[in-house]
Amino acid sequence: MSSTTDSGRPATSKSGATAARVAAALEGLNVRTVDARDGMHSLVVERGDLAEVLNRLQSRAQFEQVTLITGVDHLPAQPRFEVVHQLWSLVHRDRVRLKTFVTSEDAVVPTATHLWPGAAFMERECFDMFGIRFEGHENLRRLLMPEDYEHHPLRKEFPHHGIEPDKLYRAWERERRDEFFERRSAEEAR
Amino acid sequence: MGSLKQDAHTGELGPVDGADRNTAGALRPLVGDRTSASPLSAADDSGNGFMATSLDFVVNWGRKNSLWPMPLGLSCCGIELMAMIGPKFDLARFGAEAARFTPRQCDLLVVAGTLTWKMARACRQIYDQMPDPKWVIAMGVCSSSGGMYDSYAVVQGVDSILPVDVYVPGCPPRPDAVIDGILKLQKKIEREHPHRRVLRVPDVVEVRGHEQWYRAPNAAVAAKPHTSSTHEKTTYFVGRDAAAPKEQKR
Repeated sequence: MSSTTDSGRPATSKSGATAARVAAALEGLNVRTVDARDGMHSLVVERGDLAEVLNRLQSRAQFEQVTLITGVDHLPAQPRFEVVHQLWSLVHRDRVRLKTFVTSEDAVVPTATHLWPGAAFMERECFDMFGIRFEGHENLRRLLMPEDYEHHPLRKEFPHHGIEPDKLYRAWERERRDEFFERRSAEEAR
Repeated sequence: MGSLKQDAHTGELGPVDGADRNTAGALRPLVGDRTSASPLSAADDSGNGFMATSLDFVVNWGRKNSLWPMPLGLSCCGIELMAMIGPKFDLARFGAEAARFTPRQCDLLVVAGTLTWKMARACRQIYDQMPDPKWVIAMGVCSSSGGMYDSYAVVQGVDSILPVDVYVPGCPPRPDAVIDGILKLQKKIEREHPHRRVLRVPDVVEVRGHEQWYRAPNAAVAAKPHTSSTHEKTTYFVGRDAAAPKEQKR
């Protein structure tokens, strides 16, 4: 039985074998299978179970890679944020998607960096853009925006033009200007 | 129209009747012509001579024909910039091929590409480290106006943080377009007062001691008090030649 489709793409739609393998790996955990438009095997995971689900999928179901960690903001709906993990198995050539819903008041999910070190940047980006914190991440700093930035640009309430996008630059500029004057006056005093 | 006379030594045609002004209004040097009775230039039979011109013209002539660009390639415009300096478009024809990667040796900042707010500090620092006199070309629509990046992360035109001399539109502009921009800049330099690079009188926004802080003359939007917003394009620089009421001791 070939593990790829006729077009040569990984067998994401033919998820019978994937579903069985994942179900066996997640025996006893509270996960719910949902339909995905693209046919990828998708599960909704409770936040408390996410660490264990990721652990078991790696160790028992041979998902060796995490290809995507990102967030979705469903603003009017509650719970507001959805954290998406997509895993890829090199051995079986199939994928699985995990969805975890968290509220905006308590937007914290466990990290995957101890399982896949490559998850670090994706989690940092997700933190940067949505403000979702990844508990256990050793270096959860902003990745794209300046580190002093106060907002999370991919949140729905964030305006298109940003909130004072030049604020940090202007503060820096004023600081330099003051330094310049201090230096000048010190030189004059000498 | 005055008649043109052929120069005896160079074979060039040149004006003979007194100082002529070129289209930009600057004084054009007189060609040494031993047949001319002009007091501004003369040559003896052996060809040794002199010529008189205005110092402004000579200084500006030297400046405009030896621009040293500082390439700040931030995105795809950087590729066009490399092509422009390379042999095919050959910026050396206009004396501006000596690109240096340290701002200390440059006098033409070419902001080529999308300037983000995160990069803006570096860009401003590069500009400040360049010795005077210096000029800025905003290459491409991103650096001219933000271009298609109508976004929180992108500076909506580098004139928000720098005084810009020439804007070159295009996405990215062809090297010919940038060369045209450099020629336009040369025309502009030709008209400048060599002592004072800024022709238009800028707004004085702040006086500290004997320093006057100006709003950059290229700031696109009318003067407003300084607040943080991307739509208010405020740039400040210090005027060295500000009136300096230094206290006289004794």
